[in-house]
Amino acid sequence: MKFSLFALGLLAASIPMARAQGNYEIQVYGAETVAPRNTMVELHSNFTVDGQRAYIQGAAPTYHAEHETIEITQGINDWSEVGFYIFTSEQSGLGVQWVGDHIRPRVRVPEKWRWPVGVSLSTEVGYQRALFSPDTWTWEIRPIVDKTSGRWYFAFNPALERTWHGPDVNQGVGFSPAAKISYDFTKKITGGFEYYADYGNIANIASLHNQQQQLFPAIDLNVSPDWEIDFGVGIGPTAATDHWIVKGIVGRRFDWGHKKKTL
Amino acid sequence: MCRHYPDEADSSLSRTTSRRKFLRRSSLAAAGVLSRQAWPAYIDAQAARSVPQGARQTPDTAPDYRIEISEIEWELSAKKKVRTAAYNGRIPGQPIRLQEGKPASIEIANRLDHAEIVHWHGQWIPPDVDGSMEEGSPMIAPGGHSRIAFTPRPSGLHWYHTHAMANRDLKHGLYSGQFGPLYVEPRANPGLYDQEQFLLLHDWEPYYSASDDGSLMVNYAAGSINGRMLGYDAPIQVREGQRILFHIVNASATEPHWLTLPGHQFQVLALDGRPVPTPAKVEALRLGPAERVSALVTMDAPGVWVLGEPQASFRNSGVGTVIEYAGRSGKPQFTPPAALQWDYRRFADPVPASYKPDVIIPLVFTSRFQGHGALDRWMINGKSYPETAPVLLHEGLRHRLVFDNRSLDDHPIHLHRHAFELVSIKGAALSGVLKDVVIVEAGTVVEADLVANNRGNTLFHCHQQDHMDAGFMALFRYV
Repeated sequence: MKFSLFALGLLAASIPMARAQGNYEIQVYGAETVAPRNTMVELHSNFTVDGQRAYIQGAAPTYHAEHETIEITQGINDWSEVGFYIFTSEQSGLGVQWVGDHIRPRVRVPEKWRWPVGVSLSTEVGYQRALFSPDTWTWEIRPIVDKTSGRWYFAFNPALERTWHGPDVNQGVGFSPAAKISYDFTKKITGGFEYYADYGNIANIASLHNQQQQLFPAIDLNVSPDWEIDFGVGIGPTAATDHWIVKGIVGRRFDWGHKKKTL
Repeated sequence: MCRHYPDEADSSLSRTTSRRKFLRRSSLAAAGVLSRQAWPAYIDAQAARSVPQGARQTPDTAPDYRIEISEIEWELSAKKKVRTAAYNGRIPGQPIRLQEGKPASIEIANRLDHAEIVHWHGQWIPPDVDGSMEEGSPMIAPGGHSRIAFTPRPSGLHWYHTHAMANRDLKHGLYSGQFGPLYVEPRANPGLYDQEQFLLLHDWEPYYSASDDGSLMVNYAAGSINGRMLGYDAPIQVREGQRILFHIVNASATEPHWLTLPGHQFQVLALDGRPVPTPAKVEALRLGPAERVSALVTMDAPGVWVLGEPQASFRNSGVGTVIEYAGRSGKPQFTPPAALQWDYRRFADPVPASYKPDVIIPLVFTSRFQGHGALDRWMINGKSYPETAPVLLHEGLRHRLVFDNRSLDDHPIHLHRHAFELVSIKGAALSGVLKDVVIVEAGTVVEADLVANNRGNTLFHCHQQDHMDAGFMALFRYV
C-alpha cells in the first residue's frame, strides 16, 4: 500500500483527523527480485467499499473509488530489478483519471550469499496529481526481510517515506511498516494475513486515532510460475484508515530467455 | 599414448606422461608402494582397532589403495576457496585404476567427525562392500577405518563417492568433495587413442532457492571440472590429429550438465562404462548426476578452446576447462552449439532387439508438496523410503522395470550392483544400451530390462542427493 502511505501517512501527521485518500498498490514485498531477462506485469485492482467521503486538502475522496495500477517490473540481474507504476482512479464525478507514476529500483542480497533470511532494499520515487494526493512528489525507502520455513512464510517491510513537494514537505520522515504471514495449505493455495500501517513521523508518532492501521486476510493462488494471483479484504479500524477495501492482484511473468531446469 | 588423471598427486607425472610411465606407476601403486609412502602413520596405528562388522580386514598385507576422508580447504580458483570433505586431501580423489577380474583391496580411514561410507558406483560387487548402508555395508565411524576387498567388474569408467545422507545439511553427502574416478581396465584394451583425459564435473556452494514449480530446490554458486573453475586449471595440451579419449563423470549432487567443445565432435564409445553398439558422433554430451560418458575426440580444429558447459550460467560459474593445441595461444574461444540434443537411442542397436520379460515391475515416481520452504517428499509406488515396499527379484529372470515418472522433475535413476538395458523411451524401442543410471524425463516412461544375476540387497534410487534424502529410494531383494 505504498502510495496510500505516502499520502495518507503524511496527511495523518499533518492534520488531526487524517483520512485515507487512496490505495493504489497494496502489497507486502518479498525479498525476491524478478529474474534477469524476465518481465513481470501486474494489475492491482482495489475498490474502497467504505472510505473517505469528503475532499481533504483538495484531494478527492476514496469512497467507492476503483483504483487500477499497472506495475511493470524488469529483472536486471540476479540481484536487481526496476519497477514502473501507472496509477489510475475511477470514481463517480471524476471518471477515469490518471493519478501519477512511480519508478522503483530494487536490489537484493543474492541467494548465493546463502543468508538465513531474504533481504532486499527498494527505493521508490514518483509523482501523483494533487487531486489525488496533496503531496505530489514523494520518496520511499523500503527494507525488505523475508523467510520461508516449510509451509510458513514471513515478510517485514519497515518502510520510510519523505515528501519532496507538497504541504508535508517539512514533516520529516514517516514510518510505514508492512508485514505478512502466510501458510501453504496446498501447493496452489496459500492463505494468511497482511498488515499495513502508517505511524506518521518516525520521530513523533501519531496518536492511534490518527494512525493508519489495516489488516488484510489474503489468499495467494500459485497456479503457475508464470502467474501471480492474490486477493484480500482489508479492514481499517482507525479513523484515519479506509474501513473496507477489496484488493486483487493479477500478475503475468514473461520470460525472455530463462528456461525451466531440466535434465 | 598417454593418460591423464585429474590433478595428479604425483608431480612427476605430467599430463603427457607416457603409457609406460603410467603402467609402471600403476603397478607400483598396486603393490602399495606409492600409497604406503603417502599414508600417515596414525592410520597404521589404528589398524589394530576393530572395524565395523561387514568390512573385511587383512592387516598383514598392504591394500592396493588407501583413502583417507578428511576436511580440507580447496582452491577452486585464485578467488574462491571451499572448505569441504575430500579423499586424500584432493579433489577429485585419487584415480583408482583396477584390473577387471583381479581382486583388489581398499583401506578407508574416516577422519571426519561423522560417520561416512564410500560407494563403488557401477561395480557388480557384494552388498557388504558396495558402500550403501541400506544394502548392509557398514558405515565407517568417526575416526574409524575399514578395509574392503572385491573383484572389480565390469570394466570401464566408474567412480567412487560418498553415499551418506545429507538431509538439509548442504555440506554433507555429494555436496562435498567426496568423489573420485574409478577405471576398471578391460581384459583387452585396443588403445585406439593418443591421450586419455578424465574429467569430473561438480557444483559447489549449494544453497536453497525456489524452483519454477514452487518447491524448494538446490542451486550453486560455483562449478568445476577436476576441482578447478574454468580458467584456473592448466590447459589440456593436445596436438593436431591426436585422438583424445575423454572419460567424463558428472559428480554433481543434483545438477545435470552438458559439455561441448566448439569445432569438434564427440564419438561416444561407452555410457556408464559399458560400450555402446553404435558409437555415434554428437556435438554435445548430456550427463545427469552420476552418469558417465567415454567419448573419443579427434583434434582437427587447431586453436585454444573452452571445453565446457554450453549453458552460460554454468560455464560462467566455472564448469569448463581449456584445450590448447600445440603452438597455439590466445584467449580460449567458445561458441555454443546450435541446439542441445541428446537421445540414448542414437547409441543403440540399429535394429532394436525384442525381449520378452519374465517379470514386469512398475515403478511410479511422484512427489508430495511439503511447503514452499521445504523439499518435496519423494515416493516410489506411493511410498517414501524406508516405507517403500521391497522389490523382489528372481535370480536368472529378466525383469522389466517400468520407470513411470509422474512428477514435474527429471530424475537420474540409479540401480546399484547391476546394469540394466534400455528397451523403450517414451514408447520408442531400443536395445543394446546398458546403463546403471538413466534420465527419466518428467511425465515420461522409460523401460529397462534387468537380468537378475548378482544376488544380494540392491539399492535403487534417484541420484539427486536432495531427492534420495527425501525418500526417493527402494531396496531390491532376491527371493
